[in-house]
Amino acid sequence: MEKNELIVKINETLAEEFEIEVTDITPDANIKETLQLDSLSLVDMVALIESEFGVKIKGAEMVQVQTFQALYDFVAERTNA
Amino acid sequence: MNRIPLLEGEEVYKLIPQRNPIVMVDTFFCADEGGAETGLHVQSGNIFCQGDVLSEPGLIEHVAQSAAAFAGYLPYTKGETPKLGFIGEVKKFKITRLPKIGEFLHTRLKVLGEAAGVTLIAAETISEYELLATCQMKIFIKED
Repeated sequence: MEKNELIVKINETLAEEFEIEVTDITPDANIKETLQLDSLSLVDMVALIESEFGVKIKGAEMVQVQTFQALYDFVAERTNA
Repeated sequence: MNRIPLLEGEEVYKLIPQRNPIVMVDTFFCADEGGAETGLHVQSGNIFCQGDVLSEPGLIEHVAQSAAAFAGYLPYTKGETPKLGFIGEVKKFKITRLPKIGEFLHTRLKVLGEAAGVTLIAAETISEYELLATCQMKIFIKED
């Protein structure tokens, strides 16, 4: 999968799961604020990324993945997109 | 599914903090980092039974205690006491049929993800190859 396709799929997957508009997602936006994630729902995003893209995000890695751009890069790096 | 238990009856007490009359797991089949399998004989004295069936709260409690047993298995293998766990959320809970007294529930847990001290698990409960219930549950384990 090309990186642009990956970005589109990540955005659509997250928008559907967290019931927001795809247009609300921009590369520099903060993931937790945009998806309104709290300590309980953060694991939903982690599980979704793992089930849809086969990429596991460990606790320490979440600290680095603050924006959508960081998430795209993280998933792309691990899926060779 | 695995049919040879690792622990049965009161041996399961080594994995969970609950005690009778509220113990809702009496068989522990297996576990690894990705999940576990547990079981329960639905008996007439079970406090969650209403009439001749196990109630919905009883099924949820069975899944919750299955998750607790899963969490308790690693400390058990290290000779430690089980830690207290809390249910953060139950979602996508779907029941196709409530189990009757005399049935044996076999529950399979799968870890879907972990973040910020919360583990998301998927559970499916069967009886004699019939799927009875599925759900997702978020659990916290209280660290010392």
